[in-house]
Amino acid sequence: MLPPTPSIESLRAGDPRALAALFEVHADRVYRLAFGLLRERQAAEDVVQETFLSTMTHLAQFEGRSSLGTWLYRVAYNASLTRLRERPSEPLPTDEPEPGESPLPRTLVEWDQTPEEMLLDTEGRRQLESAIATLPETLRAAFILRDVEEFSTQETADSLGISEGAVKVRLHRARLQLREHLAEYFGARAARKEGKP
Amino acid sequence: MNCEELIHYLSDYIDNGLTEKLRVDAEEHLATCRNCHVVLDTTRQTIVLFKETQREGIPVDRRSALFGQLEKALATRRSGRGML
Repeated sequence: MLPPTPSIESLRAGDPRALAALFEVHADRVYRLAFGLLRERQAAEDVVQETFLSTMTHLAQFEGRSSLGTWLYRVAYNASLTRLRERPSEPLPTDEPEPGESPLPRTLVEWDQTPEEMLLDTEGRRQLESAIATLPETLRAAFILRDVEEFSTQETADSLGISEGAVKVRLHRARLQLREHLAEYFGARAARKEGKP
Repeated sequence: MNCEELIHYLSDYIDNGLTEKLRVDAEEHLATCRNCHVVLDTTRQTIVLFKETQREGIPVDRRSALFGQLEKALATRRSGRGML
């Protein structure tokens, strides 16, 4: 669930404590969403700055159809996508068609490391970074908000400007793709241990 | 429930979002299907792993600087417009 957000009235009134509280509660989460999409610290910091500045200067236009919290993440998500589109070397993030089945898991080995062991292993951490970096951005955003930040499906839908059904589909695909990436790594480890090429 | 259906409902099962009947069907399948059990177990591990590794917030040395820049930018806009 989204953490509590200061009242819109206190922010509109220019209460510095309300601004500080808003930043305190949401800045790291906004940063993680932006960094998750952009994979660059400086770009993620720029998105944090742009998100809070834009939100504070457009408070008059906030109509309360969603919460101020989810509005903030919508601004951050759109600012991140804009930066991605400006990168000439990267393909544009596209909204995948939502219907249709997700591919079935292919690699069905049990993993020979616990999550704790993998986090301490350099190659394991590299695989985690590679898995998240190769996930399509639209799936990555749904995964970050639902599974890392633990937003509800409704909050994630409001933050990304998509339906709850679309959030569920993207989250499901994200989890399966990330799992498959790691499973292939563990499959290769198991084959090496058994002396297979 | 067969393997394909189990995978279709996997995320809803993990999130406790299935109806009682579907949950029971899923658990009956999981009790006898090793492959689906592995997929469920490794998907749960995947979520735990990324929850741990993606928790890094704004670098400590940058946090107060960013807030300071924000306050300054807002003050500049206020003085320019007379109000927010």
